[in-house]
Amino acid sequence: MIRPGLLLTFAAMGAATYLTRAPLLLALARRRLPGWVERYFAALPIALLTALALPLVVLGSGEGAPAWVTDLPAAAAVAVLARRTGHLLVAVAGGVVLVAALRALLG
Amino acid sequence: MRDALTTVVPSIVAYGVVWGGLARQAGLSLGELVAMCLLVTAGTAQFVALPMLQSGAPAWLLVVTTYIVNLRHYLMAASLAPYFVHLSRGRLALLAHGITDESYALTTARFARQPAHPAYFAGSAAATYVAWYLGAAAGGVLGGRIPDPHRYGLDFVFPAVFIAILARTIQAPWQWAVAGAAALVALAVKGTVGGTWHIAVAGLGASALGIWLAPRAARGSAAPTPDPRGRTAPR
Repeated sequence: MIRPGLLLTFAAMGAATYLTRAPLLLALARRRLPGWVERYFAALPIALLTALALPLVVLGSGEGAPAWVTDLPAAAAVAVLARRTGHLLVAVAGGVVLVAALRALLG
Repeated sequence: MRDALTTVVPSIVAYGVVWGGLARQAGLSLGELVAMCLLVTAGTAQFVALPMLQSGAPAWLLVVTTYIVNLRHYLMAASLAPYFVHLSRGRLALLAHGITDESYALTTARFARQPAHPAYFAGSAAATYVAWYLGAAAGGVLGGRIPDPHRYGLDFVFPAVFIAILARTIQAPWQWAVAGAAALVALAVKGTVGGTWHIAVAGLGASALGIWLAPRAARGSAAPTPDPRGRTAPR
């Protein structure tokens, strides 16, 4: 029970996705970039990952207690744990336990 | 960095389980949700699409929304490209499928410290996909029977992974400046415009600080250089 129309939609969504992935990879690999572009790209991962994560832990999903009293402290704990221990798993697991506790207490 | 993969994979499985459950609630059959994962290949866009599918939004709107939600891939592709200088166009076209938030986070963190091997990117992309498929299928089978993912903090896993990777990456003052600017811009845009525009706007905007602040000799995390000294960039 797969609706054929839906498959077409999904395929078009996949094509749209590929259109965001392939062009610049193909265009920019295999050539030497100017220094300022390389410095720009050096900053991109930090800017992108921050932009992905921070609004989620500050603004949240609107469910339960405000995110800045539950998710933001847990995110700070994740950052401290990651720096102190160097272990991602420890940091993320600690953060999940803390956020679940805070949500249970304050939600 | 082995623990990076062992953290990211379970986090994607958790994310996939949540998505699979929601997909069933949105009226997709098990076959349809698997097909969606195989064809769309982009988790965030798949999350955004579910309420639209449920409300019967037109197909063109789903496609346009997918494109907009995925605009950030342009930035990721651009910053990954310099690592893949020696690859053929065919391989690049194939590798392009592997650009996801997680594979990008793993790869850029790794290449900042160790020699840039395209194989590491390919491997982390493959792990990302397999974890997503497994999680989504499991979530679809469970059919949203996990009572409340929010209550158990499952949704927190996604930002937590990125924050942990950032916390280990950011060392130099210029990196703090970029992260701080990205945070401010992202919050401002998310709070006013909404949607997913904050990712592209903050990503594009805050990175510009790197042009002036990133060290010139050692090019930081995104630029592969044949000179090994280039890889011991300030972190």
